[in-house]
Amino acid sequence: MLEAVNLSKSYNGVSALKGVSFKVNKGDIFCLLGANGAGKTTTINLFLNFISPTSGQALINQVDTAQQPLATKKMLAYIPENLMLYPNLTGVENLHYFSALAGRKYPSAELTNYLNEAGLREVAHHQRVSTYSKGMRQKVGVAIALAKKADVLLLDEPTSGLDPKASNEFAALLKKLSELGVATLMATHDLFRAIETGTHIGIMKEGNLVESMTTDQINHQDLERLYLKHMN
Amino acid sequence: MIREIVRKELLEIFREGRFRVALLTVAILVVTAIGVGRQYYRQVNEQHEAARRNARSEWVSQGSKNPHSAAHYGTYAFKPKYPLSLLDNGVDKYSGVSIYLEAHKRNDAQYMAAQDQTALSRFGDLSPDFILMFMVPLFIILIAFNSVSRERESGTLRVMMSQGISPWKLALGKWLAVFTPVAVLTLLVFLVGGVLLANLEDFGLFSWWPLILLALVYLLYYGVFINVSILVSASVRKSSLAFVLLLGIWILSCLAMPKATSVVADALYPYPTQLEFEEQIAEDKTNGLNGHDPWNAESKKLEAETLQKYGVDSVKKLPFNWDGYLMQKGEEHEAEIYFKHYQVLKEIYQKQSKVYRTSAALSPFLPARFLSMALCRTDYHAHWHFADEAEKYRLMLVGRLNGDMVDNSRTGQWDYRADEKLWRAVPDFAYEPVRYQSIVEANAGHFLVLLAWWVLSGVGMLVAVRQMKVF
Repeated sequence: MLEAVNLSKSYNGVSALKGVSFKVNKGDIFCLLGANGAGKTTTINLFLNFISPTSGQALINQVDTAQQPLATKKMLAYIPENLMLYPNLTGVENLHYFSALAGRKYPSAELTNYLNEAGLREVAHHQRVSTYSKGMRQKVGVAIALAKKADVLLLDEPTSGLDPKASNEFAALLKKLSELGVATLMATHDLFRAIETGTHIGIMKEGNLVESMTTDQINHQDLERLYLKHMN
Repeated sequence: MIREIVRKELLEIFREGRFRVALLTVAILVVTAIGVGRQYYRQVNEQHEAARRNARSEWVSQGSKNPHSAAHYGTYAFKPKYPLSLLDNGVDKYSGVSIYLEAHKRNDAQYMAAQDQTALSRFGDLSPDFILMFMVPLFIILIAFNSVSRERESGTLRVMMSQGISPWKLALGKWLAVFTPVAVLTLLVFLVGGVLLANLEDFGLFSWWPLILLALVYLLYYGVFINVSILVSASVRKSSLAFVLLLGIWILSCLAMPKATSVVADALYPYPTQLEFEEQIAEDKTNGLNGHDPWNAESKKLEAETLQKYGVDSVKKLPFNWDGYLMQKGEEHEAEIYFKHYQVLKEIYQKQSKVYRTSAALSPFLPARFLSMALCRTDYHAHWHFADEAEKYRLMLVGRLNGDMVDNSRTGQWDYRADEKLWRAVPDFAYEPVRYQSIVEANAGHFLVLLAWWVLSGVGMLVAVRQMKVF
């Protein structure tokens, strides 16, 4: 479970996030929409404790990320917009390494399973990542997240630049994880995917969360209208 | 977890061409240097042994002559070449290898290797110490400058940090990943060097534990460079900036600081020039007792005292050879003059050493350099020790010869001759080098400074990694 309590962040007096509060429960997929610079990535970075909040709290399973950054990171998995891996290592080696960092060691058969589950073709498993496309790297990222068995998933525009098929597979994976009880926070520009995959939608503007709703309250067209209204 | 980080880092490092080329280059350089050094060492040792035997046999077979003439004829003391000089040549190149021992005069060591070299070879001798002191730190910078900044630039640092790894473990893992290949390379060099040395004929001079101490000194020295490299890599946003900064640090600590320190030490405590030094000694000598001049004031005074002591009225009536006695007294007096003036030089040397010790806080190069030379017995201290021992031997030698003249001939009997029996009775110069225990004691300060460098830069690295920006 993931909770932002009056979360604020300012850089040298300039507010990037102005007292945002929301909650993502077990099994929810909360999609954050908004223009670039609206504060989506800042919110995610606060949950990762890559930056410290100016005020307010970012809680994961009721634990403050600023107080216990290592413990809260053990509970989350993170996939950035452009997931970078070690180019000189193979997909399996990358997965093995990142899992080991999270304190989980798997036999190679299990690593292969996770990569398969994430949709990476088996021939690519033992190729160096330098030969991978962005979509393939992103799949390794999913495998890393799966292998971590996290309660919380933080996604920062994970499907941008993916082809529709890969994007679709990704959405299916998210749904599967949500059924398993994973709470997901996803920043995205893809309104269609947000409606399709998400359970909740929030719209951010200039550091504020201006709209918050469940996806069964709204359809794609209404969402687009609402979104554009806020952007203008 | 740390093991996993080291494993992954090494895997990455080895799969990258940059590292393989660098490692290969350093390895080839070191092997060549050791090979060349061993050849040189053997050659020098053979020459040394031949020269020593030659000098002794010339001494023994100089024919019968007045003992004091034999003292003027003189002989040579040769500085031994120590096995570890194969690894660090120190100041050997500039300090001379033999001292001419004769009556009345303390000579300096002569025949330094640098005299035979052209200006070109002054810089960049391919000796192991050049590679160990200068090249390996550069090699460390080459593999470590982007160890953190690369991950930040490419974005892997985000994923890595999101996995919940503690900064301490990350720092330690990164550190060990650079240290491992460096340590393997260093230990390999010392092992190969040790085996080569252990297989030389004069095995007696060689023992393993100074070599182990030396390896420890170098590993500490490299540790400092690894700490600083990772510190800079974690604190600076761009790898290119980290590289330039680290190169600057390398130039400062390995080239500029040592040079600046020696300039400062020379300016604060200048040595007299050779000419000044000799003039001062000559002045003291003319005012003092001259064994060859029975008419000078000091000689007359000694004569009067001696005559009174023995209750006789002429030197002819003394129960020993007055000429030889006067000569020996003159020698002792001159020895005092030399001792006094060399003591002044030594004090300057001590004061300069203090400057070096103080400035060691500014560059880890200096304590490492001094420790390395000291353990290889190629520093100035070792040279001083040799020169002092040679002087002691010279005084003993001249004393024995004058003594023979005093006891076995009468005053004015200048045609007295001693022969090979006496020359043989004088023991050969058997030099006992400085003991390692006293080397270790004398250099403990340098070791502590190096250790402080290691600890402080290590703390700096940990703090930098803890506070680094993830993106």
